[in-house]
Amino acid sequence: MTLRGLLRALAFLALAVFIIGPLVQAIVLSLTVTLPHPGVAVGDWSLVNYRNIFASPALVASLGNSLTYVTANVVLTLAVALPAAYALSRYRFVGDRHVFLLLLAFRITPPVVLSLPIFLLFARLGLLNSPFGIALVHCLFNIPIAIWILESFISAVPREFDETAFLDGHSLPRFFVGHLLPVIAPGVGVACFFCFIFSWVEVVFARILTSTGGKPITMAIDALFTFQTDIGLVMAMMVLSLVPGVALIWFVRNHIARGFQLRA
Amino acid sequence: MTQRPDNRAWLLMLPAMSVLGIVGLVPLIAVFNYAFFDIFTLQSRFWVSTEWFAELVGTPDLYAALGRSLLFSTLVVLVQFPLGIAIALMIPRGRLAGSLVLMLVAIPMVVPWNLIPMIWLNLLHPTYGTVAQMFDAIGFDFDYKFNAVHTYALLVTVDTWHWIGLVVILAYSGLSAIPPSYYQAARIDGASRAQVFWHIQLPKIRPVLLMALLLRVIDSLMIYVEAFGINAGGPMGATAFLSLELGEEINAFNYGPAAARSVLYFLLVLSVAWLFRVAMQRETQ
Repeated sequence: MTLRGLLRALAFLALAVFIIGPLVQAIVLSLTVTLPHPGVAVGDWSLVNYRNIFASPALVASLGNSLTYVTANVVLTLAVALPAAYALSRYRFVGDRHVFLLLLAFRITPPVVLSLPIFLLFARLGLLNSPFGIALVHCLFNIPIAIWILESFISAVPREFDETAFLDGHSLPRFFVGHLLPVIAPGVGVACFFCFIFSWVEVVFARILTSTGGKPITMAIDALFTFQTDIGLVMAMMVLSLVPGVALIWFVRNHIARGFQLRA
Repeated sequence: MTQRPDNRAWLLMLPAMSVLGIVGLVPLIAVFNYAFFDIFTLQSRFWVSTEWFAELVGTPDLYAALGRSLLFSTLVVLVQFPLGIAIALMIPRGRLAGSLVLMLVAIPMVVPWNLIPMIWLNLLHPTYGTVAQMFDAIGFDFDYKFNAVHTYALLVTVDTWHWIGLVVILAYSGLSAIPPSYYQAARIDGASRAQVFWHIQLPKIRPVLLMALLLRVIDSLMIYVEAFGINAGGPMGATAFLSLELGEEINAFNYGPAAARSVLYFLLVLSVAWLFRVAMQRETQ
């Protein structure tokens, strides 16, 4: 190995320690008994924290709530973003240039700025304390992200591809589902991935919309902090909350860096 | 890419725009509306015209918070961009190794935001924190609670841990879009590694870097969850950034002033986005 290769390997090792290190301590704590429980002593290695998660109805319900709202959000986002991305990629229309600035504005509007009116509006719509309220509000930043990613994947498909399908007598919806979707499948995967994680990690809207019920994992963890916090249990919940995201990273690993050839 | 002029394309835009109208436009209009009222309850509110705005703009508090946020954003950009670009340049072109590095840096981005302060404060916990014990061993007195410089250092480290992946992924996606012929031409001309970087790679990845810069600048200017979790704006308000002040006002039920502040922040964010658009258009011409 050359000196240069060695330095590079060392640099990546340092990076890996920096990224993984903080999580290692959390994982170790999740496997350690941090409060007295029947049958185990404090300080022992044990799976008791994970068993306690599944023994608590509130924590189990929060896992379900999180998965429900994220799935609903991804489905809704993709359903509306796919046609919009196609329109922006293939047609010129009045105001199309301004749409990108509008999307950008919605993506970067801080949730704190909108949290108050969102709370009042969703109270009136009866969407408080429900996973579907969170699913809807997270569209604010996920629709712009999905449109950007999908638009760049659709633009990579030559226009002749559409023309041939239309000449063969396919209608727009038939062409879309039967021909275009299979071709841009990696793009749909990348869009799913980013929508999933940005929705999964968001807490400002999630907190304000679930003050009394329907709590997702993040808020269930916040509720675990009391005068005597079982930090091992907190860390076990944290480890569980990382599993879906890390699994998704694995699925999109070959496409994660595609789809950012942006237009503004 | 040839695009056909056809205004019926708006029909395809309609579903996305309707959802964004409900969750984006309507709340924004409501915030603009609240900003001109003194709100006791939603039923009893009084028109105060631009009083809240005058109060905000007339006191030094807002500028001090803006200064702190700008300082934090500057530090974040100065650390994360050189580091992120360097990592992206070092990523091996091989499919497996490259994917591994990208997967590694993406991991912190899937951590829920309220857990990030928990994870880091755990490392600094006086009894079982690994990093706290390391500092003890070398005799370094790290005090993120009461030493403002240490709080900033911790916040920048945490933010870098969280978001370096975004810079790396975007820079890498820009680098992999450079056609191999550019590098061949550079090799024939006998260009050095540094020349290749300054004259080929950097100009080619500028558009994606601009995008990454916009996202990082806005997100760090408006940082809330992580900064609140680490030290709640302390010590003595040294890390009371723009969003933390707004959160405080909302928690104190000062809805009118909070709305006025929200309007100002939104206008700030919008002007940064507009500047970015101008820069981006200049880039593509």
